[in-house]
Amino acid sequence: MTDDVLRVGIAGPVGSGKTALIEALVPVLIARGRRPAVVTNDIYTQEDAQHVRRNLAGVLDPERVVGVETGACPHTAVRDDPTMNLAAGAELLERFPDIDTLLYESGGDNLTLTFSPALVDMFFFVLDTAEGEKMPRKRGPGITDSDVLVINKVDIAQYVRCDVGVMSADADRVREGRPVVLTNSLTGDGIQQVADLLEGYRKVPA
Amino acid sequence: MTATALDTLLVSLQLTDSAFPSGLYTLSHGLEGFLQAKQVDQETMPELLADLLHHSVGPADATALALANRAATAGDWADVVEVDQRLFASKLNRELRLAATRTGRQMLDTAQLALGGEALDRYAELVSAKRSPGCQAVAAGVAYAAGGVATEQAVASDLFAFAVSFVSAALRLRLTDHRRAQTTLRGLAPVIKEVTEAALHRELADLGGCVPIADAMSARHERADGRMFAS
Repeated sequence: MTDDVLRVGIAGPVGSGKTALIEALVPVLIARGRRPAVVTNDIYTQEDAQHVRRNLAGVLDPERVVGVETGACPHTAVRDDPTMNLAAGAELLERFPDIDTLLYESGGDNLTLTFSPALVDMFFFVLDTAEGEKMPRKRGPGITDSDVLVINKVDIAQYVRCDVGVMSADADRVREGRPVVLTNSLTGDGIQQVADLLEGYRKVPA
Repeated sequence: MTATALDTLLVSLQLTDSAFPSGLYTLSHGLEGFLQAKQVDQETMPELLADLLHHSVGPADATALALANRAATAGDWADVVEVDQRLFASKLNRELRLAATRTGRQMLDTAQLALGGEALDRYAELVSAKRSPGCQAVAAGVAYAAGGVATEQAVASDLFAFAVSFVSAALRLRLTDHRRAQTTLRGLAPVIKEVTEAALHRELADLGGCVPIADAMSARHERADGRMFAS
């Protein structure tokens, strides 16, 4: 990719908070003077795209959120053959040349999901405490190889018998020092740190 | 340098391979629309595929591919553009036009990198200058020309790629299983032969299919509140 647009992937299991992370992150990026747009890979409906448009009404132009259908293959769409996502991104950039940050939300998928380096410059993998304390120990390329691992919903850990300390220590161990961020996307906890890590991947400093 | 028969076979295999990244796996080519309207089941899926080959893909995409392949080989770019525009205009639904141009541009992009050659560069220029829509069948026609593949083999290869894509969508929609899918594909050989032959003799003025029910299904699919496929 030859332009100055930072392309960011957001992967993770269904319901872990990928959409919530985007909804928390976009206002932070905008407050920092960035001009983001979002491509969602919905599994069956336009639910995610509509959710993002609704929750960011007044913050992000709804036209800057597009959904891509993935033919029941969410992993293929962002890893093996990302062409439809590349096309959606290119169309967005053509319509809105001022965009400097493209966020690609994957359809919820399993722990092996990674993003094609041809599609994104870096990617987050989002887990949540309700999935179980054991998740980082299960590993899989999404958990171990993502640029940043996000552990979301730290507020409900106490109700789902999850020790965040153990989960986070396990994550650190399997990721050999790559960053792990604890978040509550609904209150904004940890989101500034997510934005800082994202900015570290920008090729051209503002 | 003249391409040998084995070279052109390898080019065909590469462009036809479902692993060639053109986004075809996101399309059901109308099948999901038929299923949502309960107008297709496991028994009739292969018949629907044969009908679409005969009345839609053959007269439209396969014909465009044949014409574009010949025109690109001859270096006649005005003709390539005209074929592209006509094929684009023959696609009545937005989702079908979008599917054709998205997969076409991505195919062109990767073919340019993998195969290279003046023909693909020239066509890519026309598409990025928006003088040519960049439909998948035309991009494929130019790519096959760049690889020195003869028109008949190019048309048959692309029809086979379409059939594989359709059947693989059927698999994900539970309209077939992994073994029956292969029987269906082999059973389609006579249809592909016939459709190829017809496409090779069709003229530009006759380009375009006539499938009103499929168009209606696609129009409903475009606005369905749930779907896995982009077409």
